[in-house]
Amino acid sequence: MHSPFPVILLSHVRRYYLVGEYCVKALDDVSLAIEKGSFTAIMGPSGSGKSTLMNLIGCLDTPTTGHIMIDGKATKGMKDTELASLRNKKVGFIFQQFNLLGKMNALKNVETPLMYAGYSPKMRKEMAVQALEKVGLVDRMYHRPNELSGGQKQRVAIARALVGNPSILLADEPTGALDTHTGAQIMELFQQLNSEGRTVVFVTHDQALGFQCQRQIHLRDGKIVEEA
Amino acid sequence: MFIENVKLSVSAMVSSKMRTLLSLLGIVIGVGAVVAILNLGVSATTSISESIASGGTNIISIFPQQIPEANDFFTPTLCQTLVNKVAGVEQVLPSMQDTVAVRYHQYRTSSTVIGTDTSYFDLQKLSFAEGKAFTDTDSFGFRQVVILGDTLSHKLFPYGEAVGKTVFLQRSQGSPLAFTVGGVLNNKEQGILSDFNSSAYIPFTTFNGKLASIPQVSLYTIIVKDGFNTITVSNQITAFMDSVVGSDAYNSFSPATLVKMASKVTGTLSLFLAAIAAISLLVGGIGIMNIMLVSVTERTKEIGIRKALGATPATIRGQFLIEAVSLTLFGGILGVGFGSLITIAVTTLAQWKFTLSVSSVLVALGFSMFVGIFFGWYPALNASRLDPIDALNYE
Repeated sequence: MHSPFPVILLSHVRRYYLVGEYCVKALDDVSLAIEKGSFTAIMGPSGSGKSTLMNLIGCLDTPTTGHIMIDGKATKGMKDTELASLRNKKVGFIFQQFNLLGKMNALKNVETPLMYAGYSPKMRKEMAVQALEKVGLVDRMYHRPNELSGGQKQRVAIARALVGNPSILLADEPTGALDTHTGAQIMELFQQLNSEGRTVVFVTHDQALGFQCQRQIHLRDGKIVEEA
Repeated sequence: MFIENVKLSVSAMVSSKMRTLLSLLGIVIGVGAVVAILNLGVSATTSISESIASGGTNIISIFPQQIPEANDFFTPTLCQTLVNKVAGVEQVLPSMQDTVAVRYHQYRTSSTVIGTDTSYFDLQKLSFAEGKAFTDTDSFGFRQVVILGDTLSHKLFPYGEAVGKTVFLQRSQGSPLAFTVGGVLNNKEQGILSDFNSSAYIPFTTFNGKLASIPQVSLYTIIVKDGFNTITVSNQITAFMDSVVGSDAYNSFSPATLVKMASKVTGTLSLFLAAIAAISLLVGGIGIMNIMLVSVTERTKEIGIRKALGATPATIRGQFLIEAVSLTLFGGILGVGFGSLITIAVTTLAQWKFTLSVSSVLVALGFSMFVGIFFGWYPALNASRLDPIDALNYE
């Protein structure tokens, strides 16, 4: 399962923003390789650049200079449509605030990425039910997000991230909006998914959570300061 | 994906019913007005045409003008000439016309006297209250028989029983001639060119031989054969007459040409009105644009999520465009219903024939879809251009 081939590769990545007349160096010369099947935490205080790094890995953004390879594909210079397709196929997002679509039930939420990938309605439903089974929420699949608890919502979100079988699960403070107990359960779910061979990247400022991951990358002022 | 987008837009419409209805009002009124005006135009044209055509659309009337050079041309012999020269002419009836003083004992009045053929009464759909029409025998015998119109008969015979009595007809420069009343006509709605009720009718031969001295025909009534187009025949006749006496020498008229003219006028008028009504569609479209812009702003977060899940700009654009078109199409359907109700109400009140043309419905629905695409484009473009990171962080 483990191959030496890095699923995420950043080389000398810089991401600068122009705010008024100031140039903000959100990421400054970051090089990084994350291997397939690994469980990595990206940590740092707010303003350290971890959100920027997450956006770049998640193909929501492209670097100012430097190169990023996601599962062998260079994102630099990609058009919006190509980036969207890359997100759809390679990245599964999990957000702190779940970001489910409120007007649709759990099943439809999980089906959404498959719809954009062009699967038939029948295939979509089959795959979505499977993903919901994996997170233990099949009995809740016709419920809308507002009828689910925080932990259940996050499970739906994880199912939605899983369903297209992406190369990376990219989670942004996934336990941040949950109580300790539920957070621990979600963490367990991630560990289980990782043990099944999925690559998980966590973005968090929570030290305790970070140390449950195989590898920690610490960011400060847009640079990697420590790796463990 | 298309079906999902349609479902999404329906659920978006349902979830804010009041807002949807209010924003659709402009489209509903606009489409309703266009549908009502187009269909009422058709109904009005049909009704006008029917009332014109009630005199018979297979008739062409030629009125000679009092031009000295044409006097030799407008004689009774022209009748046979027209039958021979123009295909589709069944028969030509000459009529002569003059104003006469009419007297029965102490009752006096003036009236139009028409010298004509016995078939004139059938042709003009005139029916008899008393007595009957003069016959061909009366014509051949130059008999002094007169048929009275309803009004004229009442003036001369206030107590009825006119048939068999003798009345005197006198031209301005002539002596009174005695005529026997052969019949009285039923009241008939006034025609476009003649007042049947206050006229007196005598055989053409009697008019020509006894009342007047010069055989000057004042009206040729031309009957078109079945299977021939009245307008075509009319054109051939005018072409022939123009080549002989010139177009100033006569006026020609036929219900068929009038029907054509009337429908042209009402058609143009209703198109003009529909164009004005279409302006309210424009206003409605601006309402749609407004509500779509609000919707895009409200759903910025949703757009961000969808983009993170892999929706391309084109997909997002499609979603909002379909939503706008669904909205306007729904408004269009309501508008067609609204317009049909107006059409039913007006046609019932005016006693016109109700028509709802498929083409007017299709035009209205097509136009409302176009409004949706046109005014939905900009909001949809805005949605598709949102930066996914900004949209995701939008609260």
